Amino acid sequence: MKKDKLKIGIYELTGCAGCALLILDCENELVDIFQAADIQSFLMAKSDNIDGELDIALVEGSVSTEKDIEELMDIRKRAEIVVAIGLCSMVGGIQGRFCDEKEWKENFKKVYGDIEMTHTKPIQSKPIDAYIKVDYYLPGCPIGKEQFLNFFTRMLRGNPPERYPQPVCVECKYNENDCLLKNGILCLGPLTSGGCGAICINHNLPCVGCWGPVEGGNWTSEYYLLKEKGFDDELIKNKMANFSGTKIAEVSEQLIK
Amino acid sequence: MNGENKCMNQTNPYLPEAARIVRTYPLTEDVKFFQVRLVDMEKAISFKYSPGQFAMISVLGAGEAPFSISSTPSRPGLLEFCIRKAGTVTNAIFKLKENDHIGIRGPYGNGFPIESMHGKDIIIVMGGLGAAPLRSVLLYCLDNRDIFGRVALLHGAKRPAEMILREEFFALKERNDLECYLTVDADDTGKWKENIGVVTTLFPLLKDINPSKTFAFVCGPPVMYKFVLKELIKLNIPKNQILMTLERRMKCGVGKCGHCAIDYIYTCIDGPVFTYWDVIHMRELI
Amino acid sequence: MKIVKLKKENLFSFLEAISEEAELWAPVQKYENKHSFQLIKDFSQIDLKYTRTILPPKKLFLPPTFNMFLATEQGYEEDFSHATKKILFGVHPCDIHGLLILDRFFQHVFDDPYYSKARQNTLILGLSCWPDENCMCKSTNTHIIEEGYDLFFSELENDYLVWIGSSQGDDCIRIKPGFFDEDITDEDIQIYIKWQNERDKAFQVDINFVAMPDLMELKYENPIWEKLGDACLACGSCSNVCPTCNCYNVLDKPLLNKDTSEIGRCWDACTLESYSEVAGGENFREKRAQRLKLWYTHKLQAYISKYGKPACVGCGRCASTCPVDINVQTVAKALEGKDMDTFWNRLSKEVTK
Repeated sequence: MKKDKLKIGIYELTGCAGCALLILDCENELVDIFQAADIQSFLMAKSDNIDGELDIALVEGSVSTEKDIEELMDIRKRAEIVVAIGLCSMVGGIQGRFCDEKEWKENFKKVYGDIEMTHTKPIQSKPIDAYIKVDYYLPGCPIGKEQFLNFFTRMLRGNPPERYPQPVCVECKYNENDCLLKNGILCLGPLTSGGCGAICINHNLPCVGCWGPVEGGNWTSEYYLLKEKGFDDELIKNKMANFSGTKIAEVSEQLIK
Repeated sequence: MNGENKCMNQTNPYLPEAARIVRTYPLTEDVKFFQVRLVDMEKAISFKYSPGQFAMISVLGAGEAPFSISSTPSRPGLLEFCIRKAGTVTNAIFKLKENDHIGIRGPYGNGFPIESMHGKDIIIVMGGLGAAPLRSVLLYCLDNRDIFGRVALLHGAKRPAEMILREEFFALKERNDLECYLTVDADDTGKWKENIGVVTTLFPLLKDINPSKTFAFVCGPPVMYKFVLKELIKLNIPKNQILMTLERRMKCGVGKCGHCAIDYIYTCIDGPVFTYWDVIHMRELI
Repeated sequence: MKIVKLKKENLFSFLEAISEEAELWAPVQKYENKHSFQLIKDFSQIDLKYTRTILPPKKLFLPPTFNMFLATEQGYEEDFSHATKKILFGVHPCDIHGLLILDRFFQHVFDDPYYSKARQNTLILGLSCWPDENCMCKSTNTHIIEEGYDLFFSELENDYLVWIGSSQGDDCIRIKPGFFDEDITDEDIQIYIKWQNERDKAFQVDINFVAMPDLMELKYENPIWEKLGDACLACGSCSNVCPTCNCYNVLDKPLLNKDTSEIGRCWDACTLESYSEVAGGENFREKRAQRLKLWYTHKLQAYISKYGKPACVGCGRCASTCPVDINVQTVAKALEGKDMDTFWNRLSKEVTK
């Protein structure tokens, strides 16, 4: 039985476009991808884009302008399944770390002064699920190649994508790395979603948290552990907030406890 | 208590056997019936299992999960399952149609020690999807009716539409060698002619129980156990003659992956059937 | 059992001679004072003085991730590519005990062919060792080994005493008969006995494992589990580094544009939150304390009640890995009622302050 090809659209809101670029970077599989699905819209890859009904919309970037909201609402209306790809879309990204409206306004003024934006109105950066219902999430900054291909293949067969419920430490130990945290280095592995293959720690660099907060991470314990290792309070909080976007609000509540 | 290796593939227990769906239809809003046959006819006929055992069903691309066998070994050739839609694997199974392909491994688990109950009285208490494993016991008893004493069935569901296989159970009410009592927590149809109330409200209908020669089988949603067990204890049925089957996540079915562990019991090989006495000692269940 | 003697300078030549048709794996320094069993291409890499590797030998029998088979609608194609012919040199007694526990586990009721095949294809060449502050093998009685190896090398001053533990081990010796001396002198025996006595005195940890099953039972509801749970980072590392942890997950990885899936397997850990999740999202062990109880029930209670010895082989990997000091040593001491200077104890004082 030959089924109709899945209609897929890939969209970019506010972000670095790294996630879309990563899809394009699946060079060996690109022909297969375009053959297996009907890619209706993918601004980075093609020019004849159609804004029609979709089976799956992949949305990269956070919502940081009023234009982003409009575009996002339109995508939701047209798509059966909406997938947030990458950390910006999932938690608001690096640009979403100021979760307090007042703090955001002050910072905006600090950077841009009293400038009047003409083409669209900037707003505080938020994840897309602050505005619409999101069906699935692909964490990462950017997402991973293997992760994307696995997701894509599962979707083609009508199965939901894999979740990434395990911290970076799992794959880190698979690779027989020494624990940086144990050695007194500020590593966010236990608080961060795995799936990246612990690539930084494989190269002896600490995890900075770029796949975003893992479900059930123990922030309180790691916070006190880092304090005990002699790290400055503000440094710890900054590192923790860097890739946590608006999720840091939930986390800092845990820290105060 | 440990099971023995009776599974089909003796050299690699992880390899499924190819099977096809013979028949499938919905039982309730989220439960479907599947009748399945192994493609290899010889294997289909020689697939030996006991009531209470389970099989691993796999759908290519979606994964694998454990399911109690609802059919009876007294009717070989076809395997039957009642499956509730809950996760990735069951969602994929729900999309399958007749003649579609699945993989099957098994049978696994200890099963009910039904062979040792000849001449005994049997009480079967099921709630909701608890009917899936216990249907196997029930049909086995009915197919071998002369080797058992009294057989009584108490079956409860939330609403009439949620009673799985209800037509089959209504038909059983006609038999005079079986005490069959059905109940629903609430009747939203106005047409329900049986008892209304939770399954324990059926217990007064059980008269003149001879506890020392009675075995009770219990399976249902977690909330049901506490109350049903209380009733059975009231009837003086010994704790090691009360049998229940437990459900856990399983990835292997053969006692290796660890996911079904409760304390240090592996549900897949030490269970899934346990006596009430066994269960009392499992700290993680209390 | 037959015992022979090998001059130290002949060890690498011997290893080279026997590993012509098999991969040689041995301890190599990966980080400062941290080792790993690695495929040896250059014998100078081998570090004979190592204490413990980060991952135990289980990684060679069931790698952290591997494919079990390819699945199509037409059938299945088994994949045993991890089970190559290997010689694993330098295994310490605790790790050999760990393998004996895994043997019993993976061959119990059902035989796990992925483990067994790799096990059959691997020769185990043991090596004597000296304890550090985390070694607990004297308490677990796994500091000496009587079975489970093909050859075992005990270091003397200029030689190794070599125990021949299997017929395959004996075949290895026959490849280089000139290297081995059957004449073990009284002096050699004296050196060996002296070494044994001194090593026994070198252990710094003493835990009464026989009492642990009762303590686990009696302290199952003790507030100490909450303290441990508050500190646990739920990173799963204790399981991954443990030589007797065996849990795994199965993954169906569909291949793009083919009706084929790779059915893979990867290590799992009961201390991870996702471990006890079931279809529909319910979690049987949502709290970290519950998960730690399960882990320690398996290490300190279950096996010892069944077989008379703990499932912990005293290798000390949990102690040298866990960043928040939750390990068999500190948990056992805490169950014994001792107040420990550990991170989890300090955290509990800090948070309740």
